[in-house]
Amino acid sequence: MLKMKVQLLHKGFNFSQDGPGNRLVYHLQGCNFRCPWCSNPESMAVGGAEMTVPKSFDDKTLVNRLSCTEQEADELIDEAVRSSPMYFDGGGVTLTGGEPTVQFSAVRYILEGLKLNNIHTAMETNGCHERLPELYGLIDYLIMDFKHYDSQKHAEVIGHDNLITQENIKKALSQREQLLVRIPLVNGFNASNEDALEFVDFFKCLKTENCSFELLKYHEYGKDKWAQCGLQYTVENGKVSDEDYSFYIEAFVDNGLRLIRT
Amino acid sequence: MSRIHYSPVKATEMAKLLFKEERSLKRIDGWFLARELARKANEENGEQPREMKAALELSKILSELPISLSENAVFAGTQRDAFARTYALINPAFRVETFCGYCDPTSVFDDIEQNEEFTVERINSLREYTKKSDYVRTLTCVYDKYENYTAEVAFFIEQVTGHLVPDFRPALKYGVKLIMDGIDCRLSVETDEEKIINFNAMKLTLKGVVMLANRYADIAAQQAKTADAERKEHLILLESTLRKVPEYGAESLFEAMQSYMLLWQVMCLEQAPNPFAFSVGNADRIFEPYRKMSGENRDETAALFKHFLVFYNVGDRSWAISQNVIIGGKSNDGEDLTNPTSYAMLDAYYDMNVPQPILSIKLHKNTPIELYREMGRFFFTPGCLTPSLFNDDALFVTLNRAGIYKNDLQDYSVAGCQEPLIMGKDNGNTTNSWLNLPKILELTLNDGYSTITGKKIDTLAKKTDALTLLKNIRSEFYKNVDYFSTHMADAANGASKSISCLPVPFLSVFMGGAESGIDTRDTNRQGTKYNASGCLIHGLSVIADSLVAIDELVEKRPQDADRLIDALRNNFEGDEELREFLLSCPKFGNFNNRVDSEAAEVANRVSDIVKSKKNYLGNSFRADWSSPSTHLLYGYWVGATPDGRKAREELNYGVDPLFGEAGSGLGFRILSNMRLPFEKFNGGYASHFGIDPKFFKSPDNEGKGEEFKKRITDPLFFNEKNTNTSPFYLYVNVTTPETLRKVLANPKKYAPSGVYIMRIHGTFVNFLDLSPAIQQDIIMRLDLQSTSI
Repeated sequence: MLKMKVQLLHKGFNFSQDGPGNRLVYHLQGCNFRCPWCSNPESMAVGGAEMTVPKSFDDKTLVNRLSCTEQEADELIDEAVRSSPMYFDGGGVTLTGGEPTVQFSAVRYILEGLKLNNIHTAMETNGCHERLPELYGLIDYLIMDFKHYDSQKHAEVIGHDNLITQENIKKALSQREQLLVRIPLVNGFNASNEDALEFVDFFKCLKTENCSFELLKYHEYGKDKWAQCGLQYTVENGKVSDEDYSFYIEAFVDNGLRLIRT
Repeated sequence: MSRIHYSPVKATEMAKLLFKEERSLKRIDGWFLARELARKANEENGEQPREMKAALELSKILSELPISLSENAVFAGTQRDAFARTYALINPAFRVETFCGYCDPTSVFDDIEQNEEFTVERINSLREYTKKSDYVRTLTCVYDKYENYTAEVAFFIEQVTGHLVPDFRPALKYGVKLIMDGIDCRLSVETDEEKIINFNAMKLTLKGVVMLANRYADIAAQQAKTADAERKEHLILLESTLRKVPEYGAESLFEAMQSYMLLWQVMCLEQAPNPFAFSVGNADRIFEPYRKMSGENRDETAALFKHFLVFYNVGDRSWAISQNVIIGGKSNDGEDLTNPTSYAMLDAYYDMNVPQPILSIKLHKNTPIELYREMGRFFFTPGCLTPSLFNDDALFVTLNRAGIYKNDLQDYSVAGCQEPLIMGKDNGNTTNSWLNLPKILELTLNDGYSTITGKKIDTLAKKTDALTLLKNIRSEFYKNVDYFSTHMADAANGASKSISCLPVPFLSVFMGGAESGIDTRDTNRQGTKYNASGCLIHGLSVIADSLVAIDELVEKRPQDADRLIDALRNNFEGDEELREFLLSCPKFGNFNNRVDSEAAEVANRVSDIVKSKKNYLGNSFRADWSSPSTHLLYGYWVGATPDGRKAREELNYGVDPLFGEAGSGLGFRILSNMRLPFEKFNGGYASHFGIDPKFFKSPDNEGKGEEFKKRITDPLFFNEKNTNTSPFYLYVNVTTPETLRKVLANPKKYAPSGVYIMRIHGTFVNFLDLSPAIQQDIIMRLDLQSTSI
């Protein structure tokens, strides 16, 4: 029988950023979205991206390197189990990307393995896989990125509509006791006052008592990596003004939508 | 009640001026004068038993060495006259390739600059006299005998001076007079001739410290005659204090600190010119009873400690290196021992930010959160000293397993950088020997030939083909570790016997000698409750990574066995492909089961080998996995290694991964680290995290201190899911390479005081005082990828 494998971009611990407590975060390779502001552009290509990077910590000679490695899913589960001393403060394992559901079968296998070992699970997803709800029972802490309320605008900028994401958010809100929705705010895309009100409208009629929201301001931390991948960074003036950000916060809070910062 | 009349603000101002005075001293000549007086004493007294000879030498020094009292001094005393400017690493002119150890005990005479007073004839006269001493002659024989092994550092040995933790508590409490009375009682019934001599010698040195106190009292009295009213009041207090302590017991914080400083001064003078790395011990516990007696508040206590800290700084670069002050911790019963003096001492340290003495903090599971909050300012203020951290919970287990009685555990403290010793009871002879595992691997792979110089160092392995050798590398390597360790132990014991030619009656009083009548350095009879010799073991992760890389080569490309040996010999020149393969093999520190298990095995087996070697008294050597910048110095003598490391590059530091090889972040690094058998590291070990401050988000330093607990010390030290003995030592530098490069490029902007404190190994250093190689090593080893959170 063939062993299940998973392509990984990166793995490491972080504290309370992608789920509660200290977490072992696996970044899975491959994404079906093409967000122009992506801070991990090397994660997009399924099978990995060729990057031109310094050879090592102390040798700045440029070499080409593939962005991902392959690991057996069973090994990953074993590693996650052995790592349990580091899951303090209610931590556990988070799967993120790229977009983890691009490797749906492996993700399901891993989540099942983690749950069998009583490890707290979290996943961050763009929500656009139609079978995502099948995983809801395996995920203790679900983070869904929701980039635009207008699917057509979403498709124009990101190259993929988000109708399924919208459906999956609704299903999560009705089926789950927890959901964190993350909205990346990018000037010229979704950061205007009108946009804020439209987002609020989208959620106003939904059951959001168990849902929290995080507004992520545009940044350019990954800009250099676009060049390392031989890609052009096209976002201009993406930064969100303090006024627009404040308006967003006010709009959400005034409408009873609970904001958090991680 | 003896309390100073200066306000805390005034006393602080004086401490800072005193430090400025000290740092302006370019010449440190007192040690030379002390050794001249010792020579004079010998000439005057004729043939004497060694112990008495040492006491008479010290007595002469204490009675005639010029002393003074600065107008900014609150206390009398200095340790300046005990030190020479010899510590290579804080010399900006130092170059790694020139380092050849401290094996020539007369090289110190090169450190004194000639002038009209210290003429070349005068210097050479004392040098020649010293060369004829039993100590130098026997030590030279030891170094000559083992030169073939030490020249390229398969191992190294040294005669240990300093590096102990005296217990001055009885002297503070009862005064040295009562100790002398006790010795008299013992003398009245003692029949052992050697002990009688020793007891008398000890008594003579105790009289010496009283004499020194009275000399300072005379100066205070003299100065009081012309001082202004405020200073006069203080000088009167100082004089009366010096007439009282250390002869009699102290009854206030001021008296206790004054008593302590004079005892320290004499202890160091006894070992001039290089009494490095004595430790104060559990300082907050020593002084808190006296603070309670005299009732100083936090600010007043801190002000006194600022003068105490200045006392430990010698000359323009604070040459009295690696003297350790430790606070916090728990009792034998698990009770927290942090007290008001602990916090006042932190205030003093933070405000003074001086390069010496080193601050260490003992932690345990129930350390109050307040202590972590107060530590935050040290970690998160750029250029500020940072305490090294000890885990009492794990260290108690490790020490108890190594034979330390439960009643003594709370009295462990740290000599030198990180070596745990029991105050007043433990001669660990800590830096006696140094083992270089990667050099031994190099010699194992090359039939005893050095790939650095091509010289034959020894005949080690049966001649065999390369593939067979690689397949059997573990058995051959460990066999050779045992072989070299045996020679190392012989050599180290020889050095210990040499230094025993210089007995230390004064120190011995505070190491159990006042009861036993045996000198601490005696190599025939054990004068301390605990005794051992230290062995600093180098290259753990280089060896683990290398053994795994050899396995991978044997598994995947056995046809390249000869090629590997050639490539190592040629430093990979012309075979970058093979080096790439070796570099791609798993490396320790990334939570890879295979290589982490290998590292644990290396640590286990080598610790056991070291433990199996016996010192001069038949006690075991202690495994100490630390490398106080010697990972750099010894790496210079190691050829290319099978992990892909190139010739002459530095080795890994302590038990840490080789820099740049653990790129998976702090979580995985801690998990790898947890696999190591810390319970076998009873000699200590070293580990460093270079931490990027950006990971700590709290708005203030106190909050960041709490975060530091939650994210660094709790998972590392107090991890409930770790079923092994937990790690027990860590030091950190919280900064980035960019910040340090800016400091170097523009010191006036980033370090206007001229002092920017960093840690190397267990000691603070002024980053700006260091040699460029050490500065670059600090920058490189920050290795932030390995600690990303």
